[in-house]
Amino acid sequence: MDDEMEKETILDNKEAEAEAALQKKHLSMLDRLSKRQQSRSTTSTEPSTDSTSSFLSRFSQLKSSIESHLSDSQSLSSDPSQLKPHFDKISESISDLEKLVAQSSYFLPSYDVRSSLKTVSDLKRSLDCLSSELIPKKKFSFKNKAKASKKDQGSVLPESKPVRDSVQPSYVARDSPGFRNKTGEVLVGEFKESEIGEFTISDLDSCEVRIIGCIRALFIHRLKNCRVYVGPVTGSILIEEAEGCVFAIASHQIRIHGARRSDFYLRVRSRPIVEDCNGVRFAPYCLSYRGIEEDLRGADLDAETGNWANVDDFRWLRAVQSPNWSILPENERVGIVDISNSESMKEEI
Amino acid sequence: MGLLSIIRKIKKKEKEMRILMVGLDNSGKTTIVLKINGEDTSVISPTLGFNIKTIAYQKYTLNIWDVGGQKTIRSYWRNYFEQTDGLVWVVDSSDLRRLDDCKMELDNLLKEERLSGASLLILANKQDIKGALAPEEIAKNSGQQAATALLLRCDCASMTLLFAAAMTATVYSTLHANSVAVMGSAATLHHYSALLTT
Ligand SMILES: Nc1nc2c(ncn2[C@@H]2O[C@H](COP(=O)(O)OP(=O)(O)OP(=O)(O)O)[C@@H](O)[C@H]2O)c(=O)[nH]1
Ligand SMILES: [Mg+2]
Repeated sequence: MDDEMEKETILDNKEAEAEAALQKKHLSMLDRLSKRQQSRSTTSTEPSTDSTSSFLSRFSQLKSSIESHLSDSQSLSSDPSQLKPHFDKISESISDLEKLVAQSSYFLPSYDVRSSLKTVSDLKRSLDCLSSELIPKKKFSFKNKAKASKKDQGSVLPESKPVRDSVQPSYVARDSPGFRNKTGEVLVGEFKESEIGEFTISDLDSCEVRIIGCIRALFIHRLKNCRVYVGPVTGSILIEEAEGCVFAIASHQIRIHGARRSDFYLRVRSRPIVEDCNGVRFAPYCLSYRGIEEDLRGADLDAETGNWANVDDFRWLRAVQSPNWSILPENERVGIVDISNSESMKEEI
Repeated sequence: MGLLSIIRKIKKKEKEMRILMVGLDNSGKTTIVLKINGEDTSVISPTLGFNIKTIAYQKYTLNIWDVGGQKTIRSYWRNYFEQTDGLVWVVDSSDLRRLDDCKMELDNLLKEERLSGASLLILANKQDIKGALAPEEIAKNSGQQAATALLLRCDCASMTLLFAAAMTATVYSTLHANSVAVMGSAATLHHYSALLTT
């Protein structure tokens, strides 16, 4: 076996650098493994329930101390200069608590990790709420966050947004099927016979999109004042940046990022999610064309699951209703939209 | 020679591997983990926390952590870095527009000190979708040297063995001085699994 493994050695002399990096990685892994070996042998006599329970008692101690600090905040609110350091301190304790969970996560039962992480995020949210309630909002809230993040060196805070300097994606040239860069048009696609792979709808202004038939995956990006009517999507739909739009879409999964003032008529098998959205409203699917029943059945989307109303807001993981989305009142819904007779306007894709 | 025998000695006792599976939202992590475990994948919601699955592969036990990839919760990934043996980076090969985001997030991960000892498996998922980028292109976009990245052509169909073999091979090949590039063919993976059983 040894000989065979030795034979596997393929050294590309051009890649000496990569080789060195690999060597380093390799050594650090060895180092880690031997350390782990040691720690395992020294702790092996100790049943794991012990470390779990000592974690839990430590955790609940820290938790109640943070909670009591949080509840002290109201009494401090008369003196705004004290509030800031007070909140900073709490924020620090919360990240310590989070670190404790992370460090213990490899021996804790998954239920405990999950509930501890939930507690941590609840505490963070309470802190966010309290600080936005008690500290008058400045125009530049960015500064606060930047400062808070210094406390937690080298880690990514939820607030930190990826910096996108160039918006130009590297694979834009590749022509995948889609509707792109149009203003004030009706765009019709029909995929009755052949199921299509991924389809992209992007950079449209004041357009109406009608797609008859099944798609596997749908990407929607940067739409303004558009109406988008789409037959069943067997995989998932990803929507990023939409404003003033109406969507009638059906899919197994729906993710909506960065949408504002838009209405969504959905049929969806799992829970739809929103992230960084505002003023978005939801109602059941309302699309019709000749043969849609069959298409829906073929895509396993014929049953109404009621999930159009079970929206999860990833920016608002709390029991109380998110302010970012709502149910579209019945008297404001559009009724059935029939796109059967789109043939005459059909455009080549 | 000395090094190799040390590796082998440690590895003999080291049969449990902790695998961290991350990637952008919608890349297919949960689907893959459930498929591997032979579970129903007909209704999957975007992951709000994480799932842990344990699978046995030959003499190895793989603890696979599937962590949600929505932007809001990416900051929680770091909670799982400690003790990670293998990092699986899952890419939706049909999501061309977010390839840059994808690369940026991966670059951030690879800067992490705590992950420096972990092996990397890049999984070019959704190869069945027309218009998807080939695994080779995904590797190029990820900026990964072929010598450290292992690619698996995958469409989520009966992939338990393939995945386990690939993952084990990746971790193994980091331990073993010669990390060989494996380009997504089942034949290569079988070769590896043969190596591992001996
Ligand atoms: N066509 C195709 N679709 C896939 C494949 N793998 C996953 N999908 C689909 O991709 C969508 C996203 O899958 P998930 O498993 O929820 O993705 P995830 O990475 O767990 O997403 P988050 O939990 O949000 O991070 C679902 O609609 C899956 O059905 C694949 O190999 N081929
Ligand atoms: Mg998931």
